[in-house]
Amino acid sequence: MTDLLTPAFATALLAGAITAGVPLLLAGLGEQMSQKAGVLNIGLEGMMLAGAYAAFVAAHGAGPWAGFAAGMLAGMAVAAVMAVMSVRFGLNQIVTGIALLLGVEGVTAILHHLKFATTYPRLSPVASWPLPGLAELPVAGPALFDRPAIVYGAIALVAAMAWIYRRTYFGLALQAAGERPSALDAAGGDVVRTRAAAVLAAGACAGLGGAFMSVVAAGIFVPFMTNGAGFIAIVLAMLARGRPLMVLCGALLFGACLSAATALQVAGVDAPVDIVQMLPFAAVLLVLALFGQGGALPAALGEAWRRGDPLGK
Amino acid sequence: MRHGSRFSDAISACAITRLCSLAVAAVLALPLAQSASAADLKAIAILTPEAATDFGWNQQGVEAARKAAAKAGVEALVAENLGYGDVRPVLRELVEDGAGLLIAHASGYNTAAPEIGAELGVPVAITDLPQARVPGKVADYTPTGHEGAYLAGRLAAKLTRTGTLGIVTSGEPPGWNAQSAAFAEGARAEKPGIVIRYAVIGPAAYSDAAGARRVTETVIAAGADIIFGQGNGSSFGMLAAVEATPAVDGGKVWFIDVIGDKTPIDKGHLLSSVIWNLEPVFSAIIADVKAGTYGEKNYGIALKDGSVGLLKTPHIPDDTWGQIEAIRQQIIDGAIVLKPVFDAAGVHALVTTTTTTP
Repeated sequence: MTDLLTPAFATALLAGAITAGVPLLLAGLGEQMSQKAGVLNIGLEGMMLAGAYAAFVAAHGAGPWAGFAAGMLAGMAVAAVMAVMSVRFGLNQIVTGIALLLGVEGVTAILHHLKFATTYPRLSPVASWPLPGLAELPVAGPALFDRPAIVYGAIALVAAMAWIYRRTYFGLALQAAGERPSALDAAGGDVVRTRAAAVLAAGACAGLGGAFMSVVAAGIFVPFMTNGAGFIAIVLAMLARGRPLMVLCGALLFGACLSAATALQVAGVDAPVDIVQMLPFAAVLLVLALFGQGGALPAALGEAWRRGDPLGK
Repeated sequence: MRHGSRFSDAISACAITRLCSLAVAAVLALPLAQSASAADLKAIAILTPEAATDFGWNQQGVEAARKAAAKAGVEALVAENLGYGDVRPVLRELVEDGAGLLIAHASGYNTAAPEIGAELGVPVAITDLPQARVPGKVADYTPTGHEGAYLAGRLAAKLTRTGTLGIVTSGEPPGWNAQSAAFAEGARAEKPGIVIRYAVIGPAAYSDAAGARRVTETVIAAGADIIFGQGNGSSFGMLAAVEATPAVDGGKVWFIDVIGDKTPIDKGHLLSSVIWNLEPVFSAIIADVKAGTYGEKNYGIALKDGSVGLLKTPHIPDDTWGQIEAIRQQIIDGAIVLKPVFDAAGVHALVTTTTTTP
């Protein structure tokens, strides 16, 4: 074990934790906004997958920034369907989300099959943005402060989301749309428009998370590559109970535990792999259950809204 | 419907399984065709979780099924890219289309396939579950390239610069456990003090390319300069990692793949691959179905009949390859006897005893 305690190994573990956590953070922040507005976005995984594929195609042709933009747009495109079906027409949010996921899985697999299945191109590593004075630190420097700009952007998004929720009318409208949409309607707000905007924002965030997976984390696209990350992000968003900082903590904790699980295996700890790999899920549940109890899920989460609803929601 | 071009294969499989899986109830309501009896087998069907263009498990399975079917004079129905969800509707539809044998080419189908096979009276071949064999109904093929993996371990130990090898897998199915263990045994037979770093990406991370890259980069940082990777779709993440990450000595990291041959997409890091050929397996399965002896035994692959082999690439020096060929012959002759280790605990015991610095 002691022969593993090298700066290179520690850096790889720390960097791996960030790489694993960023997609969950982005998608989780998006899901959180959607849930605040009362829309349970089960199709998040599909939005991530669409973003991953579109980003890979764009990055392959025009570089990583084009990829990130394409990923966001692709996520929003899938989210637009969700918004029309679940928000505008009031169809069941869970069924719509599952349908979208299955559809996107099929479409991206077909497109990949047609375009890349015999070549499997890999992308060049995305250029990093070293932060002066910090990037030179041992271990933490290259792992935390010499990363692609999108990593810093994802962290900054946490603060932006918190500001939106606390300081803006839109944030207040989101909360009303999720808690008591009829009250928002009575106050002159547009419930459908507010919820649709939240779903589209969720799609953009999830698409960006997927883009990060294919362009930065893997450097390649393979079908179904999100591998359940969207569902983990949904859980993170629910457990975070409306607080963006808790999504950040949960995502980073999850990534750190994934890295720790890898470290235990590489170190030769003789424990069942299934037990070792439960570590991220168990740790996130425990921590968020302990520290994330200050709020509740929106009262109208998952419920379609129609003007004149007799329940008053 | 599923035996035309790649395009139609993809369209049909994906469309049916993804887009139309919401119509399960409708499919269930369809009248089910009578299955063909074993003697008049007219078609076989294979179901794969990912596209048959992965240079690996799925491609090998589909190509082998097509060859075996052609050799037996029957039709091959292919449903690929099905994912790891519920394939019962697809299984039923394939039987409706005339399949008299269902090859469920993923351990994730080991519950659904025997269930539908029993329901419709069609023999089913499953994988990685030898104990599930039922005479006349279910047989298992657990192809273990452990003999080839042993050779890969010998090769890697001969060529490593750092004295550390890495094994990265996207799960721990029995066939891959056998290969992981054999790789470790081969490496240790060549250099007893060699260090082996072993990591599993996830419980079933077969398509987790990002996770594969992260884990592979960690194993490389732990000193490995040769990665033995088992991963289906995730193996492309491993390949991306070895291409982008230098070894701890600053030199190149090599990759040893399994099942298929990724030479056409190699960028100079593919050292070798444990090549599987499932055509003899599927031919034997078809023959047993026709002979009415199906399910009386399970099926495997081996060096001696060519269904397992080690890929020779230009990166392997000729003299080293000559030594590997000699070891291969010793295995075939029985001078070296290899017993597959199917359970994960056995693999862990092997790799954890090699974590001392040589």
